[in-house]
Amino acid sequence: MNANEHDARLEEAAAFALGALDAERVDDFERHLEGCERCQEELRWLAPAVRTLPEAVAQQAPPPELKKRLMDEVRTDARRERAAEGSGFGEWLRGLRVGGMTWKPLAGLAAAVLIVAAGIGYAVGSGGGSGNTHTWEGEQANGIQASVVREGERGQLHLADVEPLPQGKVLEAWVEREGTVEAVPALFAPDQAGEASTEIEDMKGVSAVMVTKEPAGGSRQPTSEPIVEVPLES
Amino acid sequence: MTPVRREKAERLADEELMPWIAEKDPEAFEVFYDRHGGVAYSLAYRILGDRTAAEDCIQEAFISIWRSGARFDPTRGSVRSWTLSVVRNRAIDALRSKAGRAPKLTFDDDAILEARPAEERTEEQAIEHETAGEVRDALTHLPADQSKVIQLAYFGGFSQSEIARMLNLPLGTVKGRMRLGLEKIRGELAEGMA
Repeated sequence: MNANEHDARLEEAAAFALGALDAERVDDFERHLEGCERCQEELRWLAPAVRTLPEAVAQQAPPPELKKRLMDEVRTDARRERAAEGSGFGEWLRGLRVGGMTWKPLAGLAAAVLIVAAGIGYAVGSGGGSGNTHTWEGEQANGIQASVVREGERGQLHLADVEPLPQGKVLEAWVEREGTVEAVPALFAPDQAGEASTEIEDMKGVSAVMVTKEPAGGSRQPTSEPIVEVPLES
Repeated sequence: MTPVRREKAERLADEELMPWIAEKDPEAFEVFYDRHGGVAYSLAYRILGDRTAAEDCIQEAFISIWRSGARFDPTRGSVRSWTLSVVRNRAIDALRSKAGRAPKLTFDDDAILEARPAEERTEEQAIEHETAGEVRDALTHLPADQSKVIQLAYFGGFSQSEIARMLNLPLGTVKGRMRLGLEKIRGELAEGMA
C-alpha cells in the first residue's frame, strides 16, 4: 500500500471512530486495522475525543418518574430472580413485604390454627383438633380473609372479600416447599360475592401459601406483590 | 452475595458496583443510575429531541444494562463510556426507525466493548472526568462545517455518505472535515491535560 492509499485509510479512521463509516466499508477497514499500527495509533488518539462528545451536550434533568419506573422494574426483576433461584419463599416474601408478619391462632378449630394478620399479626399458640386436618386463617392487611385447610395431603385455599380483578388478570396461588416456590396449577378468580377458592393438590412439605394477581393464563414466576400471604406452621 | 446497602454502594467505584449489579442488587443499580442517569438522559434527549422518546430510550438502555451487567468487562473501558455507548446506540436506532432509515447499530453491548482498544482506557478515564466543559468549548470553537459533520455523525447517526448527500458535498470533503474536527477536539483535550 502506497502513502496516498494509506492516507485515505487514515481519513476513514475518523469516520470509523464516530461510527459513521459506511457499512460496506467497515469490514474492510477492520481487516486493515488488524495489521496497521499507524491506523491503530490514530484510533487510539481520536477515541477520547469521541468518548467525551456525550459529556458536551446541554444537561437535562431526567424526570423523577423515570427513575421510579426504572427502579420498579428492576426490583420486580430482582424478586423474580431470587424466586427463580429457589432462594426461599421467606426471603422472597421479605423482599416484597412492608413490615413484618407474625401469628395468632384461631381458637376452636380442629387443629393448629393461626390468624394471619399481615403487617400487624402476632403469635399466640396453637389449637387442638383431630389429627389429620389443619386450618390456617386470618385477615390480610388489605382486608382479604384467607384460609388454608389441609386434609391429609390435599389442601383448599379460600379467600373472601376479594375485590374484582382488572380485565385480563387472574389469581394464581404459590406454595413454598423445601425452600423453593412452586405455582399451584389451578388459576382462579373471585365471584360476585368476592369469594375465590382453589385446590392445592399436594400439601406435603408446604410451609407457606401466597396469592398474586397475574396475567390471564398465569405466570411461571410471580410478577407482582402478593395480595395474600399465609405462612403455615404445624 | 448479600445485598449491598445503599450507603455502602455509594462509596463504591463504578467498576466495583458492576459485580453487584450483575448479582441483581437493586441498591447498587440505583446508585449507578443516580451517577449516570443524568448525562445519559441528556444524551438521549440531544439525539431524539423529545422527552418521552428520551425517557423510553433510557428505560430500555438501563434495563438492558441491568440485565446484562455481568457482561461488563472492566479491562475494556470505563463504566460511564460503556453506558453512554449503550444509550447512544439505542437512541440512534430509535431515531433511524422513526425516520424510516434502516437500523444501523447493534444492541450487542459486548460489541461495544470489543470495538474499543483496551489501551485507551487509562487516558480516557483521566479525560472524561475533567473535560466536559473543554469538549463543549472545543465543539463551539470548531469551524461550523467541521462541527456540523461531527454532530450529524455522532448525534444524528448518519454515515459519511449520507452526510455527503445531505450537504451536497463530495465524500472526500466530509471525510476530511470529520478528521480535522476530531483532531482539533483531541488536540484541545491534550492541551487541557498538559
